[in-house]
Amino acid sequence: MNLAIRDIRRHGARFLGTAVGVGLLLSVVIAMQGIYAGMVDDATSLTRAMHADIWVVQRDTRGPFAESSRVDPSVEARAAAVAGVRSARPYTYQLIQRDHGENVLRIALVGLGWPDDPGRALPLVAGRRLAQPHGEMIADTSMGLAIGEEVTLAGENYRVVGLTKNALTSGGDSVAFMTAADTQLVLLDQPAEATVLERQRVLERLRGTEIGRSQPALEDLTTDPRWRAPALAAPPVAAVLLEVDPHRIEQVRETLAGWGDVTSYTQDEEEELLLGGVVQRARLQIGLFTIILTVTAAVIVTMIIYNLTLEKTHDLAVLKLMGAPRSRMLGLVLQQAWLLGVAGYAVALVIGELAFPAFPRRVLITPSISMLAPLATMIVVTLASLLGLGHVMRIDPARALEG
Amino acid sequence: MTEAVRAVNLSKTYGTGTAQVKALDDVSLTLAHGTVAALLGPSGSGKSTLIKALGFVSPADTGEVFFEGRSVVKDGRALEDLARLRRRHLGFVFQKANLTSFLTARENVEIACEFGGKVDGRRRARELLQYLDVGGREASYPETLSGGEQQRVAIARALANEPSLILADEPTAALDSVRSRTVMELFRTVAHERGAAVLVVTHDHRALDVFDVLYEMEDGRLRPYEAAHVG
Repeated sequence: MNLAIRDIRRHGARFLGTAVGVGLLLSVVIAMQGIYAGMVDDATSLTRAMHADIWVVQRDTRGPFAESSRVDPSVEARAAAVAGVRSARPYTYQLIQRDHGENVLRIALVGLGWPDDPGRALPLVAGRRLAQPHGEMIADTSMGLAIGEEVTLAGENYRVVGLTKNALTSGGDSVAFMTAADTQLVLLDQPAEATVLERQRVLERLRGTEIGRSQPALEDLTTDPRWRAPALAAPPVAAVLLEVDPHRIEQVRETLAGWGDVTSYTQDEEEELLLGGVVQRARLQIGLFTIILTVTAAVIVTMIIYNLTLEKTHDLAVLKLMGAPRSRMLGLVLQQAWLLGVAGYAVALVIGELAFPAFPRRVLITPSISMLAPLATMIVVTLASLLGLGHVMRIDPARALEG
Repeated sequence: MTEAVRAVNLSKTYGTGTAQVKALDDVSLTLAHGTVAALLGPSGSGKSTLIKALGFVSPADTGEVFFEGRSVVKDGRALEDLARLRRRHLGFVFQKANLTSFLTARENVEIACEFGGKVDGRRRARELLQYLDVGGREASYPETLSGGEQQRVAIARALANEPSLILADEPTAALDSVRSRTVMELFRTVAHERGAAVLVVTHDHRALDVFDVLYEMEDGRLRPYEAAHVG
């Protein structure tokens, strides 16, 4: 006769309530671990999605994610000419926030090197890659946009032609991919008033120079709406991405090291910069929070199991007086703890299935979490039952005779 | 009749210094199989301490207890596995039935059969409950049974392992006089029909005629109960 199951059968509602409570606790612990894993994955998935062997960024910076980087666009052509480089393409990255209908879209705009790269490395879950140099975007499903939907940015409409899943920044923002030229349009967009003021500043500077005074006709250029100020030509990019012959990576890097305006990182180094810099503090914080939550959950589960055991003290004293083998007494507490762990974990799974997708940050249940969480749960409930087991060992059977 | 349990010169003291109380003072007692004995005495006279010592629950400081002829406890030291001895050969009945709350009436008896190493515990539990006239309540939980029914189930549980010795500590304290007498008569039947030695601690003087032997305790000392007291 299994005493643990008999006790649970008798107090089914209470056990179920306790299991739900334990399940809620476990779901919070699993959610924290999932958010931690999601943060790490988000941080690296964007760099991996770009499929670059080498990231060329502004000299002595840790760009483009850990800090801002401005690379002269000529680097793309210069790098493409280096022996061993198969392809070079520009990369731009900027965060914007825009109203879209009743919602606010917070988007990390990533520029693709059209026409070489229409987004061929992106894992699309719907739609297609970019097919024209202007007016199209590939959005992440987390933005809630549908194929064919249009988003207005800098006065232009951009049609969603493809959808990715889990293309997020380390900050959890959704990523949208456009041609690098389109992202520059959005980046350099400014109100008409600012354009007028800028033209006026150019005019003032022109009048202060010898050439301006000697050639007054130049002033007409500054008021021509078709004219672009020379200072705005060829805007810098955040980085240049290189695909390189695998056996010539070091050789290419040595060449790039000789250039005075850039620094290069391999894919792994770029990921380390992200994990060690941008998300390091958040990782530590969430990691610490996860540990505190796990310990808190363990303490609460310990007290629950201990109280369940305390409530049975008299019954246990009677069984002990009857000469119940020690294994049966300890088994009652231990098996009940295990059943509580199994039931609690099942509740946590259901909660996770229903609630995690609605979390604002991605909760990534990795295979290691899937394997370790139930194992850790069983270890925690086993350790938690030690206090109850100690109580069982200390129960004096004579207590049963004391009425 | 053969000896079930024999206590020789048991003494036990609680407390120290001026607060010292001698609960057992050189107590010797023999209970034979098939005998039902009553143990009387005022509260604090040492009855429960003697029950604990004879039941191998809390041994006396000095003295020796023999079970079916072999020495089991000597001067407070166990010479055998006492828990095993209890589950195989002893039965207990308490003032309150003390049934395990999360087991049904049948399961309360069945678990004692299991502990006692009896095969087919379910069938045996049913038979015992029918023998004690509570067969119809086997699926009921203790809290739904009347006091009398609970005590009958407790007696069935005490009989589950076919004990050589049954120790009952004020088993009728919570029952009315009619039910008390019925329970006492049950003990006599069990002793006479099944050959167990039964020792019942009781304050109830109305059913003393049921017992084969009467003992009285006072200040830790045991003596035969005066026959003149029996009404």
